[in-house]
Amino acid sequence: MKMIYDWLNQRLDLDSAWNFAKKKRVPIFYGTVWYYLGGISLFLFAVQLVTGILLVLYYQPGAETAFESVKFIVSKVEFGWLIREIHSWSANLFILFAFLHMFTVFFAKAYRKPRELTWFTGMLLLVLGMAFGFSGYLLPWNELAFFATKVGSDIAGAIPFVGEFMLKVLRAGEEVTGATLTRFYGIHIAVLPGIFTIILGIHLMLVQFQGMSVPPEIEKLPEKKRRTIPFFPDFVLRDFMVWLIVLNVIALLAVFFPWELGQKADPLAPAPAGIRPEWYFMFMFQTLKLIPPHVLFIEGELFGILLFSLGGLIWFFVPFLDKKSHLGIRSKFWTYFGIFLVIYMVVLTIWGYMV
Amino acid sequence: MKHLIFIFLLSFLNSTENGCMNCHLELDDDRDEGEKIVTPYLSGVHAARGISCVDCHGGDPEEEEDEDAAMWDADDFMGELEKADQLEMCGKCHSDPGFMRLHSASIKTDQVQQYHTSGHGKALFNGNDKAAICTDCHGVHGMQPVKDPRSSVYALNIPFTCSKCHSDPIYMEESQLPTDQLNDYQNSVHGKALLEHGDIGAPACNDCHGNHGAAPPDVVHVKDICGTCHVNNRNLFQKSHLFTTLMEKGFGQCETCHDNHNVVKPDDSFLDWSGKSLCRQCHPEGGEAKDMSQHFYSIIDSLKTGLHLAHALVDSAEQKGMIVDDLFFHLEEARKTLIHTRTNIHSFDIAYVDTHAIPGFTAIEAAISGAGNSLEEFKFRRSGLFYFSLIITFLVFVLGFKIKGMTDKKIPRSE
Repeated sequence: MKMIYDWLNQRLDLDSAWNFAKKKRVPIFYGTVWYYLGGISLFLFAVQLVTGILLVLYYQPGAETAFESVKFIVSKVEFGWLIREIHSWSANLFILFAFLHMFTVFFAKAYRKPRELTWFTGMLLLVLGMAFGFSGYLLPWNELAFFATKVGSDIAGAIPFVGEFMLKVLRAGEEVTGATLTRFYGIHIAVLPGIFTIILGIHLMLVQFQGMSVPPEIEKLPEKKRRTIPFFPDFVLRDFMVWLIVLNVIALLAVFFPWELGQKADPLAPAPAGIRPEWYFMFMFQTLKLIPPHVLFIEGELFGILLFSLGGLIWFFVPFLDKKSHLGIRSKFWTYFGIFLVIYMVVLTIWGYMV
Repeated sequence: MKHLIFIFLLSFLNSTENGCMNCHLELDDDRDEGEKIVTPYLSGVHAARGISCVDCHGGDPEEEEDEDAAMWDADDFMGELEKADQLEMCGKCHSDPGFMRLHSASIKTDQVQQYHTSGHGKALFNGNDKAAICTDCHGVHGMQPVKDPRSSVYALNIPFTCSKCHSDPIYMEESQLPTDQLNDYQNSVHGKALLEHGDIGAPACNDCHGNHGAAPPDVVHVKDICGTCHVNNRNLFQKSHLFTTLMEKGFGQCETCHDNHNVVKPDDSFLDWSGKSLCRQCHPEGGEAKDMSQHFYSIIDSLKTGLHLAHALVDSAEQKGMIVDDLFFHLEEARKTLIHTRTNIHSFDIAYVDTHAIPGFTAIEAAISGAGNSLEEFKFRRSGLFYFSLIITFLVFVLGFKIKGMTDKKIPRSE
């Protein structure tokens, strides 16, 4: 074993990495629990990767084969049902934990200097995660997914100037067809994982080099009052323990709350009742439904898209906009802005499911 | 206002018609609803197709100021007609394929010919003036197309149109026909489907008796009338020993068990000897008829019970999130066999019924076995989850203790 280590060490300088890991420490305070959210998201992404690769072995993209192959996976392939359920559940939980991670980072002001890049890469990862969800939702080629994709891509098509182009690129044509499915499949298993892995690498590298952020009030404490534990093995073991619990929760959800496969998509059939997007798009979907057909001189849908685009940009650039955070001061405005956003998203999502 | 609307409508018809209508519209004002002429005409199919008063009644509408010249003095004028003349009047156009093709190519042109063969036609030409003629069923001036719900011969209205005469004991006295058909029909499975559920595919009077050639079917041909819709029942029954026996003895056919106008909804209990078996009506002594009746009843009952059980198991597996789509095919197969078996009993052949019920029992077995496997699989998943959770919980505890030990040793407690 030592021989192998030495061989690798001479080539990869493992000692430096080992020394770095030994020196790295994690702050212990009331919000240490928030640190697990990023780790859980990372773990769920790994689960996605493994189960996704296993699903690719049997999944056949195409309007005539996709639904049948998923049905085959869940009914005939040994433990195929388990792999599909874990993939679906961990996908949803990934988005949930990524959102929670983002909001805890926001409220802890962890985006402040020097961690602006960590925030930007994290935001990109969340957007990519949602793109993963949007593209993956269509892959079973069932009725609900088909029409939800139609509605979702229609919304993208309403974006000024580039909308029509985006719609055609997304759908691989004018309508949602088998070609769209193949395109989404390519995006889901090749394009997105490639981009995601690069950005995730940068994000993790930044976290490792810059260390864990603490809220401004903890940062101000004298050194001797700030408790820390070694990252390795103490915090890593804690992370591992939480991941085991999450894995168990996924298994429980997979057995008792399996995802329905539904009916095969029929492009010629009328849209069934209850078409709705994935839950993490619901607040936007519901907002678009509530906006009147015309707001001033702008079409309602376009107004909604502009509103979300503007909101997204503000949220993305918050490290630059919240100038007080760089001075170690909590800005009330941005805290209330975050609280408002959380309440808005929760209320609109619940509302969307109630109507 | 009403007049203005009519005058507006009249302006669309050619000027020669207005001569008749100008006078008769005024006369309509003083008449009861049922006696009006122009008002119903304008809302009818003839006005819509441009068939004018002159086309049926003749006369000279240009003589608007002179009633005699307009009507009575004209050679071709036909006012109120005798019943037999009405037939000629309507047939002038309706028996002319060349003319009818110009207005409605889908309408047949053999109505007059058929009428002559009908009970109504025969009665009329035998001097019975009460026999129905074209206008008795279709109305006089306000005829509507058959598919128009306002038409007196629209499927939903037919039972009431026929019953205008056929449910009137005084009117029907001469013909000596019964007058309880509408009442029976309303209580029948056909009547309920048509009149209560609005299913215009359900048979009304004309579907069994014919339209223009309406006549009561004779005993020998009842099976053919019923067989128009119930084809398989008719075919099986026709080949059965019972059919031959009934024919030999001069008994009725379908109506012997099912009645004619009062065809009640068939029920499996019709075969239950200990219940209300219909076979007992003619076979009070039991014997072979009893055995057959009981056998058919038990086959149908077994299929029903099996299907019910299989359905419950498949539903239960589906509710647990198992993929059971294939099992629904088995259930559908069993359901079809149950329906076919109810038809097959009209063969009155035990071997035939048994043989054709086998696919149903096979499908039920497959569904029950498949659902059982799915439920077993769910149990396996649940116990797998239990053991997995047990291992995870153990690992979490081990890690928890390890972490606690490390924390106690390493973290210097702050004041």
